[in-house]
Amino acid sequence: MNKKIVIAAASVVTEADLPSARLGQRFGRLDLQSRLALLAVASLKSDFTSLPPDRIGICLAASAGSLTTDYNFWNGRGGVGGPSPTLFAYTLPSAAVGEIAIHFGLTGPNLCFVGDDKNLLAEAADWIRRDKVDGCLCVFCEVVSAEMAEIISAPPAATACAMFIRNAEAVQDLHELREFDRDMKALCALISQAKTAV
Amino acid sequence: MRELRRSNVAIAGCGAITAVGCGLEPLLVALQKNFSGLRPSEKFTSPRFQSNIVGATPRNFEDENPAWFLASETLIQAREASQSILEKIPAERTGLVLSTTKANIEALERISENRPCSETARRHLQANLLAADLAAAHGARGPVQTVSVACVSGLMAIQQGVRMIQRDEADAVLVVGVDCLSEFVVAGFTALKALDPLGCRPFDAARCGLSPGEAGATMVLVRADLVLQPSITIRGFGSSNDANHLTGPSRDGAGLARAIQAALQSAKFSQAEIDYVHAHGTGTSYNDAMESLALKTIFGEACPAVSGSKGMLGHTLGAAGVIETICCVLALQNNFLPGTPRLSVAAEGTPINLVYEPRISVALKNVLKLNTGFGGMNGALILGHE
Repeated sequence: MNKKIVIAAASVVTEADLPSARLGQRFGRLDLQSRLALLAVASLKSDFTSLPPDRIGICLAASAGSLTTDYNFWNGRGGVGGPSPTLFAYTLPSAAVGEIAIHFGLTGPNLCFVGDDKNLLAEAADWIRRDKVDGCLCVFCEVVSAEMAEIISAPPAATACAMFIRNAEAVQDLHELREFDRDMKALCALISQAKTAV
Repeated sequence: MRELRRSNVAIAGCGAITAVGCGLEPLLVALQKNFSGLRPSEKFTSPRFQSNIVGATPRNFEDENPAWFLASETLIQAREASQSILEKIPAERTGLVLSTTKANIEALERISENRPCSETARRHLQANLLAADLAAAHGARGPVQTVSVACVSGLMAIQQGVRMIQRDEADAVLVVGVDCLSEFVVAGFTALKALDPLGCRPFDAARCGLSPGEAGATMVLVRADLVLQPSITIRGFGSSNDANHLTGPSRDGAGLARAIQAALQSAKFSQAEIDYVHAHGTGTSYNDAMESLALKTIFGEACPAVSGSKGMLGHTLGAAGVIETICCVLALQNNFLPGTPRLSVAAEGTPINLVYEPRISVALKNVLKLNTGFGGMNGALILGHE
């Protein structure tokens, strides 16, 4: 059967949204990228947790890997107690994937890219088409601190966008994901703005 | 999207630089003789580090861009080994997948300490730019991806390469794994108190931590129908998340067991068709115990032979999945079971068929390769003779 894949929900968050987040005590201890990624997923207006936890994938891309946390870990190593073991765990671009999985109890497959968002939707759709999952959370993080921006000559950033895509018998009032849909960030902005307007 | 009718993907050639030397030959010798490449390193003698026993490659430790060096050298080796096939494939149909956790983190250390650092070394702090430059320099003008999924990165990069070929996006994919020893990484594992001061001893009763290592490793994946001789193919893959803890594995091994089950389903194999398991085997107390439980869940009392190579190479992070799969390829090609270097007395609960010393195995056909990582990630890859 040729399944239709739909965008069930989309969200965009920035650093300014973090203070109002109510995502438990651990939330404040996460690095910036993980907080933004988790908040973007938590902001999705979708009932994805009603699916079996092992049938939900997480596919994330981090535009600058974990370089902002890398910088904070390395430059904080001379502090009291030496290098932070907590921060070290976040010096992996995929740490945010782990935090999303832990928070929502999702045990399906994961993937994490360093770089742009152009592969995310295609890879997630590939999992759905091959029946590896029923739905997939796609997350794109752009986190570059001012210090790191100077080092890598990139603009500072602190945003994340998320999307939940799933298979469906019919598109109904949802957006169908098309094969040429590659620009997840733009799609998230478009869909989340449209929902807000409604 | 057009899928190839024949979806098998073969390994056409490999390259490696590890703690046991440069090239596949020293790696094969070390695997067949159970050598360990772990040594004390002057670079990590400061009391700031929990251990100075590491798996260092034969490279210049003053190099400002070791990730580029290790990756490039192994790309040259692997392309040479598969030249007869690659020369028939246009550059536009050749992809590259890079697996790394820290890319050229050396540059961040240098910049922070106001030491000289070239623009290129600085650029390669960004793993995706390292991948793009490697692809440009090594004739891969097809799709390029950078995969970073902790210590499962290598297996997932191989799977991404397989999918690129199966989806007909490429005819060949260069899968490159690289991570380098750095003060950054050794300080981090020291902070977590995760290093064994005596050097890692996977599955040993006295094990108490891992040993960091570094490696460059490249596998050339191609459409199986382009390989004339009988070859080793990728048969299946599965992954899962524990959803349990950021730095610790689940205690019951259920997550890894699910990944193995998914790999078996993907390969359409039964448990009995696996002849050998190449374990993640970090040498940390919790990891090895969890992995043993996962194997028991899947195989029961009929567990196939199990061994691991981190006592030889150290934990090479983003390179681990690629270099350890190359160890499996060498075992399959040369009909032997690698041993578990630095294992003396197996801990209680570890698989009954742990291989201490290498031994000949003419019946070796299918191998299960496992990796797990921070963030609760689990990966299982099955490869075997076509």
